[in-house]
Amino acid sequence: MITKKTLPRRTFLRGVGSAAIALPFMDAMAPALKASTIPGGAPVRMAFFYVPNGMIMDSWNPSYEGKFQELPRSLKSLEPFKDDILQISNLTHNTGRALLDGPGDHGRCCGSYLTGVQVKKSLTEIKASVSFDQIVANEVGGQTRFPSLELGMEDARQAGDCDSGYSCAYTNNLAWRGESQPLPPMLDPRALFERLFGTGQPMTKEERARQAIYRRSILDFVTESTHKLESSLGPTDRRKLDEYLSAIRQVELQLERAEKDTRPIEPGMDKPYGIPADFSEHFKLMSDMVTIAFQADQTRIVTFLMTREGSSRPYRELDIPDGHHPLTHHRNLPDLMEKVRKINEYHVRQFAGFIEKMKATKEGDGTLLDNSMIVYGAGLSDGNAHLHEDLPTIIAGKGGNYFKTGRRVVVRRETPMCNLFLTMMDRMGVHTEKFGDSTGRLQGLDLG
Amino acid sequence: MQLAKGKPSAGAFFDSDFSTIDSVLAVAVLFGMQGKNDCRVNILTMSRPNLAIAGFADAVERFYKGPAGNFSQVPPIGMRTEGAAGETSPAFTVPFQKKNADGKPVYTNQVKTVIETGDPNTLIRNYLEAQYDQNAFFVLGGPATNLAAALDFAGIPDLIAEKIKYLVISASDARINADIAAARKVFAEWPTPIVVCGHEIGANLPFPGASIDKEFAEAVHDNPIADAYRAYQTMPYDAPSGDLAASLYAGRPQEGYFKLSGNGTISVGGDGRTAFTASAAGKHQYLIFDPGQKDKILKTYVELASAKPAPPKRFKADAAVDEKPEEKPKQETPPPK
Repeated sequence: MITKKTLPRRTFLRGVGSAAIALPFMDAMAPALKASTIPGGAPVRMAFFYVPNGMIMDSWNPSYEGKFQELPRSLKSLEPFKDDILQISNLTHNTGRALLDGPGDHGRCCGSYLTGVQVKKSLTEIKASVSFDQIVANEVGGQTRFPSLELGMEDARQAGDCDSGYSCAYTNNLAWRGESQPLPPMLDPRALFERLFGTGQPMTKEERARQAIYRRSILDFVTESTHKLESSLGPTDRRKLDEYLSAIRQVELQLERAEKDTRPIEPGMDKPYGIPADFSEHFKLMSDMVTIAFQADQTRIVTFLMTREGSSRPYRELDIPDGHHPLTHHRNLPDLMEKVRKINEYHVRQFAGFIEKMKATKEGDGTLLDNSMIVYGAGLSDGNAHLHEDLPTIIAGKGGNYFKTGRRVVVRRETPMCNLFLTMMDRMGVHTEKFGDSTGRLQGLDLG
Repeated sequence: MQLAKGKPSAGAFFDSDFSTIDSVLAVAVLFGMQGKNDCRVNILTMSRPNLAIAGFADAVERFYKGPAGNFSQVPPIGMRTEGAAGETSPAFTVPFQKKNADGKPVYTNQVKTVIETGDPNTLIRNYLEAQYDQNAFFVLGGPATNLAAALDFAGIPDLIAEKIKYLVISASDARINADIAAARKVFAEWPTPIVVCGHEIGANLPFPGASIDKEFAEAVHDNPIADAYRAYQTMPYDAPSGDLAASLYAGRPQEGYFKLSGNGTISVGGDGRTAFTASAAGKHQYLIFDPGQKDKILKTYVELASAKPAPPKRFKADAAVDEKPEEKPKQETPPPK
């Protein structure tokens, strides 16, 4: 439909104080007759959701390749979205292997995951390389408010020995801005909220307290500009705006609940203010904000460390008091393997909730998920054996009408993971012939 | 980057077109030397796209290495995907027909498609990166196709120079003629010393076929090497052993099994003919058959090739020297310089 007024793509609802809410794409932003088409095509978004300690691979890989039939146990919760995911098997990170550096597979596999290099085994001389998400962010990040967002759910400490002489900087970060400059993940949903809907920086303690006293929503601060905008929108855009602001309000309410909750979190720690005690609530809050950030084109690049590599978090919510990492050294004992399977399933279930949200969010003629490539994966396959080949990898979304989803593709053994990254860089508009130990682009993933 | 004072035993790389039983026996000898801590077999690569043979080589590798275990892996067979598949000897297919007492196959072929193999260049690069400096060797038992391609692959020439102490080529006119351009390139550009095991060496050292039903059978009931040997040709027969000799020399250059020529440079003409130009600075040498060593070599062939599978010794950097199972006899032949 044609609206009376054309909105710039980068429109904010601004209010008193530091409130600033970026808007999602609306018909009013399209000056052309075919308003449902995004000018220049929808931007492609890219995210990495990393899970630690490998998988029980017999429950991750189906027994077939090609079009999805019945999904394997660990992927079951993705069943409603199986036409939207692409599973890739046999990708390898050689740089995660010991090579000549001895023990420390957890430190290496996470450090090399997006950097594609063998990281330096050290507690003090941190050395990796610029991760490929940051190479992309350097090229396209200027088109969005935030070049990238680095998020996580567990430990963000940057010093200490996290694995056999490897600094925690390797196990606790995915994104690297420079070879010795990791980008620590943001764990606190409130801080993320304020980053997205404020000045871009977390509020001061005083500002936060003032807002809390009055129990005011961020939406209250932009009421006037919201009403003004609504009056100029057509009915489709008004509905879209309403849905979008409701989603933000839902996040706010979740945050408030989390802030009132003072239960301790595992492992035996006081719960940091604002961080939900419940893992799934925490994930939902963080991932809902990823959806909103993508929807409003606040960023196109997200890295998300679900828990840090080598995590020993217990999963009492699944009646699993044992630490995740020790469990993965199951020595093929069935009861221990079963617990790991349950953790694998649990993680995927959280991810499926995020995918559901992305798929439910309309954008142009399709969905936000269609215009995204959301990688869910791990830096180890068999966590018991510490194997760095056949890394668990799925891509949700078509990456802007590119990936042929709904199937499992098995590439040749030992194919570098960095080959996939080269292909993804192409989709993000960044073209290079080499990244990490790549040997070429990954072929056969596209619709053609 | 090296963190340790000592080194593990040398890393072995073997490339072949697997057109003869000699190549199969050479793999057995390499694994036999692995059991004696003379080397660690890293990867097997093949220079023709033949899935049947890749499947057999993979089964052999799994026979020796077992399933992937904690902190270890069984790499795929590196297989070239271009060119002709060529002939497939029954040696590579008949063993899969063997059944145990329960009627189940003794050996399983896990290579059904090219997916289950690896790109030779990627494998060579990845596994070279895991070697200590000057602590690996390459044995070529076929046309030089894969090695020439590796020399064109980003990063590999530097890794060869850094990691590979020497290349031992089991050469014949047929193998050079199978890919003359590749042979020319390898002799011209291989960065480290090359030792050539000529056809006459293998002809002078026929592998004792009688050992298949004796030593092999006594060591392991079901051995894919023995079953391949039986299927390769009507028994009994003694097979020429050029690849075996090349592998034995590569893993035990100090043992004095062979003499070495003086140094020089081997060049390959456009017609495939080789020429040797002696020079002290040359990086190429020939192995020379020593009749006095024949019995010892044949005995060693059988001992190593029929040995039970044994994993490489676990390497602890500071204790590496103590892990050698026995003192080496006095050096009689120097390794190539």
